[in-house]
Amino acid sequence: MTGIGSKTILGLAAAAALSLGTARAEPPHGGIIRYGHEQEPPCLYAGWVQAGYIQRQYADNLVARDHDGRIVPWLATEWTVSPDNKTYIFKIKPDVKFTDGTVLDADAIVYNFNHWFSDDPDKINRNAKLYVYEYISSVTASDKLTLKIELSRPYQPLLTVLSTYFFGILSPTALDKGPQAVCEKPVGSGPFYVEQWNRGQNVILKRNPNYNSAPATAHHQGPAYVDGIVWKFLKDDTVRYGSLVSGGSDAIYDIPAVDWDEARSRYSVIQDITGGTPTRLQLNTAFAPFDDVRVRQAFAYVSDRRKAVDVSFHGSTPYNGNGALSLSTPEALKDLAASYPYDPAAANGLLDQAGWTGRTGDGIRTKGGQPLMVRILYAAGALINSDGIQVLQILQDQARDAGFDVVLKPIPQADWFAGKGRGPTDYDAQPAYWVASSAEILKISWRPDQRGVVNPNNASRFQPPELWAKIEEADRTFDDARRLALYQGAQRIIVDNAAVVGLFPLTVSIASQPKLKDIWISSPVSEPVFHDAYFDR
Amino acid sequence: MSEPAITARQAPPWRRRTAAVLRRLLGAVAVFWAVATFTFCVQSLLPGDRAEMMLNVASGTLVQASKAELAAVNARYGFDQPLSVQYLRYIEALPRGDFGVSYQTHRPVRDMIAEQIRPTILLTASALVLAWVIAIVVTVTTAGRPGRLSRFIGGVQVATAVAPPYWIGTILLVVFAVRLRLFPVEGDNGLPGLVLPAAALAIPLSGFLGQVIREEFSRVLEQPFVTTARMRGMGDTGVRLRHVLRHAALPGVTLSGWAVGALFSGAAVIETVFARPGIGGLLVAATSSRDIPLVTGIIVASAGIYILANLLVDLAYPIIDPRLRAR
Repeated sequence: MTGIGSKTILGLAAAAALSLGTARAEPPHGGIIRYGHEQEPPCLYAGWVQAGYIQRQYADNLVARDHDGRIVPWLATEWTVSPDNKTYIFKIKPDVKFTDGTVLDADAIVYNFNHWFSDDPDKINRNAKLYVYEYISSVTASDKLTLKIELSRPYQPLLTVLSTYFFGILSPTALDKGPQAVCEKPVGSGPFYVEQWNRGQNVILKRNPNYNSAPATAHHQGPAYVDGIVWKFLKDDTVRYGSLVSGGSDAIYDIPAVDWDEARSRYSVIQDITGGTPTRLQLNTAFAPFDDVRVRQAFAYVSDRRKAVDVSFHGSTPYNGNGALSLSTPEALKDLAASYPYDPAAANGLLDQAGWTGRTGDGIRTKGGQPLMVRILYAAGALINSDGIQVLQILQDQARDAGFDVVLKPIPQADWFAGKGRGPTDYDAQPAYWVASSAEILKISWRPDQRGVVNPNNASRFQPPELWAKIEEADRTFDDARRLALYQGAQRIIVDNAAVVGLFPLTVSIASQPKLKDIWISSPVSEPVFHDAYFDR
Repeated sequence: MSEPAITARQAPPWRRRTAAVLRRLLGAVAVFWAVATFTFCVQSLLPGDRAEMMLNVASGTLVQASKAELAAVNARYGFDQPLSVQYLRYIEALPRGDFGVSYQTHRPVRDMIAEQIRPTILLTASALVLAWVIAIVVTVTTAGRPGRLSRFIGGVQVATAVAPPYWIGTILLVVFAVRLRLFPVEGDNGLPGLVLPAAALAIPLSGFLGQVIREEFSRVLEQPFVTTARMRGMGDTGVRLRHVLRHAALPGVTLSGWAVGALFSGAAVIETVFARPGIGGLLVAATSSRDIPLVTGIIVASAGIYILANLLVDLAYPIIDPRLRAR
């Protein structure tokens, strides 16, 4: 894991030595990994990244992405791209079968694409559609092991996107069983298969004894070393960490910040900073007070965000000052990380200039009789954990000193995803992240409204034509240096206009018992991988 | 214990009893219907387009859905029908235990509840029994005795009665599971895994029951028949167990009907904390994903159990208190 910004921490020197050893005997087989995860997704397929973590265990993708951003073979052993970058021809790995026995060939993959792009709510894969549908003109099987994707216009991030979990290939036989089966017992061709989902408790994953389609990023080819995984949902921090301490779990996800130091000394700890957008405040530029760039910049200067993140996360999560991209995203502009440092004088100066010079009895600034109120809307407990909420509370407190009345408005996870209370006039700022591997996320976050269709993922409502022009051009530019310059120019427009205020990235951390070796965290979106893991005797 | 109606007094005893039971049953059905109607109204009044919410929650992505996508969902779940039609369908399906299909898993809600209700009943029943045992032991040994210890225990009962189960659960977990390793932290659905969650629910309830019994206990201890028993040479423990407790426990029995409801709501939190199976944890998950049929099903099923428990308490009362039988 040498990708830019991503890091590996190994708590035990022995573990480090073992996992770095290149030549070693076949690891011991057997055992079941009892893994304590945190959030339970509503469905085991597509959707939220919490489902993606499980999907990484039971499904394969067309291609894989390593931590350096290279696209490497997975179900596709090789591929060619036409000179006009509009035709992709993939050679599919032979003799691969789904765990229900269905043959995995080019026809099966075409079947998946047709399913995703369907208008039928039982079939549609809205993430897949959102990313690539507009570019795809056809997906066909030239023969059993040749897949052809034709685009209407070039899209450079295509392969990166295809390596993401929501493009995981499922068995057509299982897809035909309808949404309930796909949600509860999806069937892929991965190193494990879903045996059972005990709601509220765990997902039982069993080893696929015939696994022969590991990606090039895997440490070994062939079936997994362990017999299975019990993927438990331990939402409470005390229970999750306690389960590791008492030996009830072999590994846990998301080490609670208060236990971070102890975990690092007692267990093998690995961490990955997820790419895409970090958790950042998207300031609503369409309405007062944040329609004025000076007020937005003042809000960025008003609090010591770096310190708030350090204090709240006990050093387990870094500060992400560049609100446009997560610091592990290859295209992230380093110098923007230091933008808008804590500067109350600058904040007050900007607010005075912007005309917020009146004061209420309790010190809140006013302009034309209106108080300077900022409503921060967030999905508590889902996208923002308790440590993250503490960051918002510190920010609320410090903003008050400059005359901001910050109101925190938590809403349930479902309302967040459903967009309830997230109408353009319902909020002034929204903290959220969106996982991705690289700058292809900018298209999702900053696409302007088109023909009256609001892009709800552009919560900043910030849509200057020059920003979209840069992003669109970057997405169709195949010259690496030029594409990088365009993406970085886009970040500058976003940050200079304070359309977002950076806070912290999404991190994935796993602590495991010293005897459990070789769990690793994969690109593109920090999925834990258990295929190579084994119990040391 | 109100005076029975004149007509009832003239009727033979079995008819009076049957009439009373029928009245209770009818009342229970009316309450159940009211709960079901109320739940339907609340979910119908929730703001926002339900079809859009289902699509977005399922994909974990906020996208403006096309008209065709929304129409398909609306037709599938009958959201395009007038509210009155939806209500009639809903009420008509209730006696069959049919709450429709979960928006998230697309499985029948009835099956999901049936799978998960046993561990919840086991947990709440164990907690109720444990609460009674703690309350009786503490009260019988300390109530009505002079001195600081008795007052202190009374104070502890008040404190536990108001302590949230979540907090007690976390404390029990850290002390007995993580530090002392006497019980599993999670993942054990057998007896050892039941102890801490049941205790977390039972401790606040025992404080509450204890308080109620304690007051009655102290009062009964002053009654002449207790003095009589003592004069017959009966020991203190015998008097407390055989004579006083019987009287003092009556208000506690009444409260047990209510306690079933309190335990069910407490189970929602405790099942989530201890990662146990059950409808409590299912309810938490269903609420956070706005799975309306599942939420409705669990609320109506829990209400059904609550109503049933109170019905049983009502019917059992004459058995425990012979005075009610004699009339």
